[in-house]
Amino acid sequence: MTQSRARALLLTPAGLWYAAMLLLPLAVVLIFSFGERSAIGGYAPGFTFEQYANLPARFAAFRNTLTLAPVGTLAALLIAYPLAYFLAVKVSPKWKTMLLVLVIVPFWTSILIRSYAWIFLLGGKGIPALLEVIGLDDVRLLNTPFAVLVGIVYGYLPLMVFPIYVALEKLDKRLLEAAADLGTPPWRAFLQITLPLSMPGVLTGSMLVFILLMGEFLIPAILGGGKVFFVGNALVDLFLQSRNWAFGSAVAVALVVVMLITVGIYTRLVKRFGASRDDVGLM
Amino acid sequence: MKNDNTPISRKAFMEELRRYQKGSVTRRHFLGVTGLGTAAAVMGGAMPGLLPSRARAQDIGDRVVLATWPNYHDAANFDAFTDETGAYTQVNVFGSNEEMLAKIQAGGSGWDVFVPTNYAIPTYVEADLIEPLDLSKIPNFDPASFDPRFADAGTIDGVVYGVPKNWGTTGIAFNSDKTGGVVDSWKAFFDGARDAWDGRVMVHDYQLTTIGNALVYHGFSFNSVDPEELAQAEKLLIDVKPHLYAISSDYQPAMRNGDAWLTMCWTGDGKQMNTDMPEIGFALGKEGGEIWSDYYAIPKDAPHKEAAYALINYLLSPEVNAKEALAHGYPVADSRTNALLPEELLNDPIIYPAAEALSPLEFGAAVTLTDPNRAELMARFKSA
Amino acid sequence: MTDATTTHVPAPEAVAEFVGATKRFGDVLAADRIDLRIRRGEFLSFLGPSGCGKTTALRMLAGFESPTEGEVLIDGRDVSAVPAHKRPVNMVFQHYALFPHMTVAQNVGYGLRQRRPRLPKREIELKVAKALATVRLADFGPRRIWEMSGGQQQRVALARAIVNEPKILLLDEPMAALDAKLRGEMQRELLELQRSLGITFVLVTHDQEEALAMSDRICIMGKGRIAQVGTPQELYDRPRSRYVADFVGKANIVSGQITGRQGGLAQAVLGNGVKVVLRDEPGDDRTTTEIAVRPEALGLAARDSAVPAGTAVVPARVTHRTFLGDHTEYLLAADGLGQMQVNVPRQAERALGGHDVGALVHVLWPEGTGLVLAVDD
Repeated sequence: MTQSRARALLLTPAGLWYAAMLLLPLAVVLIFSFGERSAIGGYAPGFTFEQYANLPARFAAFRNTLTLAPVGTLAALLIAYPLAYFLAVKVSPKWKTMLLVLVIVPFWTSILIRSYAWIFLLGGKGIPALLEVIGLDDVRLLNTPFAVLVGIVYGYLPLMVFPIYVALEKLDKRLLEAAADLGTPPWRAFLQITLPLSMPGVLTGSMLVFILLMGEFLIPAILGGGKVFFVGNALVDLFLQSRNWAFGSAVAVALVVVMLITVGIYTRLVKRFGASRDDVGLM
Repeated sequence: MKNDNTPISRKAFMEELRRYQKGSVTRRHFLGVTGLGTAAAVMGGAMPGLLPSRARAQDIGDRVVLATWPNYHDAANFDAFTDETGAYTQVNVFGSNEEMLAKIQAGGSGWDVFVPTNYAIPTYVEADLIEPLDLSKIPNFDPASFDPRFADAGTIDGVVYGVPKNWGTTGIAFNSDKTGGVVDSWKAFFDGARDAWDGRVMVHDYQLTTIGNALVYHGFSFNSVDPEELAQAEKLLIDVKPHLYAISSDYQPAMRNGDAWLTMCWTGDGKQMNTDMPEIGFALGKEGGEIWSDYYAIPKDAPHKEAAYALINYLLSPEVNAKEALAHGYPVADSRTNALLPEELLNDPIIYPAAEALSPLEFGAAVTLTDPNRAELMARFKSA
Repeated sequence: MTDATTTHVPAPEAVAEFVGATKRFGDVLAADRIDLRIRRGEFLSFLGPSGCGKTTALRMLAGFESPTEGEVLIDGRDVSAVPAHKRPVNMVFQHYALFPHMTVAQNVGYGLRQRRPRLPKREIELKVAKALATVRLADFGPRRIWEMSGGQQQRVALARAIVNEPKILLLDEPMAALDAKLRGEMQRELLELQRSLGITFVLVTHDQEEALAMSDRICIMGKGRIAQVGTPQELYDRPRSRYVADFVGKANIVSGQITGRQGGLAQAVLGNGVKVVLRDEPGDDRTTTEIAVRPEALGLAARDSAVPAGTAVVPARVTHRTFLGDHTEYLLAADGLGQMQVNVPRQAERALGGHDVGALVHVLWPEGTGLVLAVDD
């Protein structure tokens, strides 16, 4: 057997896997997106750009998604970073494992159940009732974009915390001593050393959360009371309610394109911050 | 499943959750993946491994899969069915006919029995997805004892595709403590939503009823697909949207805890809430609205057809059907069953409204199920 | 503790001073009452095994640790409470601790950029260029840290520290990560640098050769305390304790009985009855003591060869012989004294002949060889 044949043989399982798990479904979606909705719903074969021409009909869904996804990512980042920093830098090793587990534990439960808990918290008998005690009457939290934001931040926090935690944990503490030695007060050392060197973690976490948020539909449906409409909700409705598979496929393709663009931007950012190669941190 | 009539506040969280999954979220295929779908399966009363040995005279297999609506059965009946036949009932609940159709259309649903609403049946027949019923296997179905208004839609071109399960209406549930009285018109419903009840009103996450009732507000047919009339309904809905509490078919929790004061509501939900909290009333819109009837039917590709017939037949026996009605609060069109129901239930204006209240109501039309314009209208409304 | 200060009055020639500086980490006593003056412009090494307190001493000087008790002074000012970023000292870290997200030039200029009020950009550039030139990395400014070899990284770390013109340059095992050949080169470069800059260097090392080769003075530490401070020669010739004698070079330690003292010499009887004449420690009046004698101070001769006058002989048998080029190392079983080591220079061995393993020989102990150890430990 020649070397190249052996190579091809070795790559076959991975290739098949890609074909079956990634390319095949995508191809189906792509083909559907050029088709039509049959009279009673579902898919009718065809070749038309009509579905793509219809995309502006879901502009609002894309707009909502592309607004709340970055805002949610940023909010998750702002909450996750201090938490990750606390866990990685400040907590004594004795408590670290336990606190890390506590961050993960909610993840063992379905996001549905956890979001449902927020319905109680944000509903009239929850936080608003407490606010009433201090004189803030008639505060509506549930079924607002704010509630969706809370759900997003809550649901995706661990995904943000862990990459940042790992980046901070890996950070050589001697670099901070070196900075201090060279005349940098601690807060400035954080900005100049800790923050830039944890950027790979920040970017990884942000990307994870952002990509997942782009496809999110459960949290807006549950905590947004159906009034906050993401692309994910549009897809669910198109496939399960109006059964317009062709248009649904076109929306899905558009979503994939938007995600690809996002990942592209991300990759460029990583290359810029990629200057910090891991091995040097330990030198 | 709501079957014990205890107030929601006293229910355990998981119980709460189980009922929650019947609402907007349930309709997500996602549910099955999250594992919560299994909670519904548990409702069937038992897992196969937990069942006692079942040496039965009549072998119909060990399971039957039922696709049905939220809060629509008495779980004890499924247990009894299992005891009687050895087949346990796996129950999947759905939020809309559209979703059920999508699942069956996609193929391989694995369902044996499903519960389409009157207006969905023609589409199933047209798409050749529904099995003509062999009535000899459903001896408990006695056409003569059924009110034809709620049985006719199961028969198309002389072929029986569905046997009637329950009927009901889509009306208005209101918390009279907050609304100060009965709300019995869609005019009051939609106008109040933008005024005194700002932020307290819920509409279904369902195009048929939400668009239909908005059409009725303007005096149009509940079933209209006329672009001009739909445009007016859309204008109303988009105008109302910022003032709504939620767009969700899972309105019971919010109504019960007082966050929502009014909602579009199906008969059984209205009865259930009214039973637990008398201040929550149920009224039909006097301009009109929906009346509907649900049917037991068998998909063409049902894997356990014998079990499907056995289950339908079992559920249609008047004794069982009466127990069902007591649990879910939906009216039955079977006079044999009604004869077994307590007097106060039969006189309950929520369950059996007066004839004049019913007269302006319309049965949903098949065209609404498949009309693309209504679907797009709903999407614009939700994303506005 | 020859160099210990007993007063808090700062010594003018001292650029830094430890006054009874003690550091505890919980129950661990990392530094125990350290008293030491570091002279302006000197090259001082802290030498000792790991855990001896040398790094703690350095870190107290840098400001990463503050003494639990006592004081640390820099330029006569108590800096015990002054944080690291406000001290006029800079450190070359053990693994360099270079900032991986900055270029070489950015690393070197880092300290300058921290000055407030800010230095002009041009001035920073000039200083960085000069510092890079000083460490012979003139063209490497734009490089990334990971593109640099270990030796180059070390020089970047050096440039990053000296560019700030610190009062004291602290070096924490700077050569530990370099291979032996590079280490020799770097040692010479460091020395030249120290001379040309005139900055006080304080080095921490566990490598006695490195300390001996580079230091003006060495502070030997053990168990958190200073064992002895002195020039390399003093430490080698006049170790005050077995610990120091062992740590600096090799030493035969034998016990003996002092029988008389006169004019800096002491007569002693070794454990096996051999009488020797040693250098004495002034002011010592003990009669039982330990005696240190360097392997190269002793000689070897065949049992039958003549012994020079005044030279004591210890009968012994050769157990190991290791040829090491410039000298041969003999391990011997000495009668009544246990194992001894004698190093015979190549030249002497060529002239007088070597000794095979198993040969019975005399260890020659010339008069005035060996030292009474002042401190028992």
